[in-house]
Amino acid sequence: MVSGAPGALAAPGAATAEDCLACHADKGLARGAPVRGKALSVFVDEAVLKGSAHASLPCVACHRTATAPHDERLPAVSCAGCHDGQRAALGEGIHGSRKAQAARPSPSCAGCHGTHDVKPAASLSTQTCAACHARQVDLYRSSVHGRSRARGDAEAATCRSCHGPAHKALAKSDPQSSTYHLILPRTCAQCHADPELAKRHGIEVGAVYQQYMDSIHGRAVTRSGLLVAANCSDCHGAHEIRARTDAASRVFRANIPKTCATCHAGIYRDYVESIHGKAAARGAAGAPVCTDCHSAHQIRRVEGAPWQLDVIRECGTCHKESLRTYRDTFHGKVTQLGLTRVAKCSDCHGSHSIQPASDPRSQVSPASIVSTCQQCHPAAGESFAQFHPHADAGDRVRFPRLYWVNLLMISLLVGTFAFFGVHTALWLPRSLVERLRRGRRPAEEPRDP
Amino acid sequence: MSGPERHYFRLNLYHRILHGMVITSFLGLAITGLPLKFAHTGWGKGLSLALGGPFTTGYLHRFFAIVTFTYFALHLGYLARLALAGRHGMFWGPESMVPQPRDIAQMVQHMRYFVGLGPRPRFDRWAYWEKFDYWAVFWGIAIIGSSGLLLWFPAFFSRFLPGWTFNLAIIIHSDEALLAVGFIFTIHFFNTHLRPEKFPMDPVIFTGRISEEEFQRDHPAEYERLKRQGRLDRLQADPPPLWLRNFARVVGFTALAIGLVLIWLIISTALR
Repeated sequence: MVSGAPGALAAPGAATAEDCLACHADKGLARGAPVRGKALSVFVDEAVLKGSAHASLPCVACHRTATAPHDERLPAVSCAGCHDGQRAALGEGIHGSRKAQAARPSPSCAGCHGTHDVKPAASLSTQTCAACHARQVDLYRSSVHGRSRARGDAEAATCRSCHGPAHKALAKSDPQSSTYHLILPRTCAQCHADPELAKRHGIEVGAVYQQYMDSIHGRAVTRSGLLVAANCSDCHGAHEIRARTDAASRVFRANIPKTCATCHAGIYRDYVESIHGKAAARGAAGAPVCTDCHSAHQIRRVEGAPWQLDVIRECGTCHKESLRTYRDTFHGKVTQLGLTRVAKCSDCHGSHSIQPASDPRSQVSPASIVSTCQQCHPAAGESFAQFHPHADAGDRVRFPRLYWVNLLMISLLVGTFAFFGVHTALWLPRSLVERLRRGRRPAEEPRDP
Repeated sequence: MSGPERHYFRLNLYHRILHGMVITSFLGLAITGLPLKFAHTGWGKGLSLALGGPFTTGYLHRFFAIVTFTYFALHLGYLARLALAGRHGMFWGPESMVPQPRDIAQMVQHMRYFVGLGPRPRFDRWAYWEKFDYWAVFWGIAIIGSSGLLLWFPAFFSRFLPGWTFNLAIIIHSDEALLAVGFIFTIHFFNTHLRPEKFPMDPVIFTGRISEEEFQRDHPAEYERLKRQGRLDRLQADPPPLWLRNFARVVGFTALAIGLVLIWLIISTALR
């Protein structure tokens, strides 16, 4: 960290601390040229100095040209004289950039580390960053990370956990930055790829990173380098990350459609108008939000067979009866065997714009049902659409024809097997006796001529 | 007995070829249809996958349906030809497949014989359970075939029929098929092949020939009637050659094995 021997900096005959404090211990000592009517204090508190990381250094280690007394204003202290590595790092990062240095106040060594009260780097906290980044730190303090940290959780992320060491900190627009859109998931993964960590902190989803990386969002980010594909912070927020049980969280159940809508605006417009969207907005328990069908971290391409088949089951978690009766039909059985070419829930009912059958906008409303069937059965007509895709043969009231035909078929089955079951059971012993009486001379085995 | 045993033709080549088509298409339809009916089971999914997935399975199912319609048409043609040729006793009498009062009587008598209350009935050309098998297939093809066609070409049939008939067709096709599969693989297999007197199989459907002793025992009324009418000698046959007996064994045991595996899967699923 520190280059050069501090002792060597103090030339023989140079001013000692005693010499300096002879004047600078005076609390009223101030430099001329008052700033906005206020003199700049040049008082040095010896106690603070002795408690600092530089306690063992003489004043001239930093104020190299100082003599006692001196009239001239001393030149600015250059920390790089000892900490040249840090200055080099600062030059690479955003804090040392020309733009940042031109800003007022510009990030200086003293701005973060202080002057006479300089502290070891490890003791700097979010409070230090707050001097300039007050808004971000405020958000952070109300976040799950900030609150956990405040509770004394040493594993909770601080500024540096995500942004890296302060000297080298890069803007999130920099492709090398740990918070750059395409790199952020890896940064979050430093902690959140560890299922043990999730367990320790009561986070329900353990393998988020692995799941995310395999999801459509994760692949788009890491494989295609798509800046518009969602990374962690697009859904969870950055400084303001909150637990999903927190009503203010972007991933709180009721807030999820809005969060997804930041990118999927068109889908959202359909969804809020749908029966599901309206029910969810009313706060109806069980009304599906985006993640119920699409999941959170395992979002897949909707064109893929695995998702298309799984989402049928997903619909069935609420629409149990509809799934059961669907499975009785050709459509339901073929999809159960893994073929997606036949009608699935959304093929008839729609997906985001789903409406009750009584609504004229519904794909299964009496006005639209024929054209819905025609998507797959081009020759279908009014009569064709009288097929009931969710008929229940057990429901005598709604489907009497089906009920009685089913009963007839079952009676036929039971009757036939009952009669021939008895017939066989009686014949078996009799036939056995017959065979034994005849002895082993099977007639069907004629000798070769 | 010395020398080769005397044999008689019971089934002609046409009968045997048609029954070969029945075996092939029936097993084919069962193997390709059951995965759909049992789509919720592991074996249903596995069988469908093994056959090339649901699309291919459906394709094969329709192929075997065509085989079925073909032999059904061939059989109807055969009946028409016999009828036009003025064959006597086709629709009534001892050689007819048509159920008659004597079949009921023989069934009752047969069941009395099972429990030792009387002698074995003297069957003519077709025993009552053989007639039942025949009509079961006949009825089965009509019912399963027509409901299957409905489901194959729904848009076409919806021009004449209301759409809810497809709901009925699903139930009828599926349940009647289960009845057919269940009946053939248990009752028909037992009656014809697996009952101790015939065990492990009766090869007559492949060889077409029946030994004189078996003829006299299983169809005594027919044997004596033919003898009396002087038609018996015309049916006399050589014993089935070795290749034919081996063919019967290979095809017969394969069909039996497939059927028994399928019925075991169905029953174990039903009992679960």
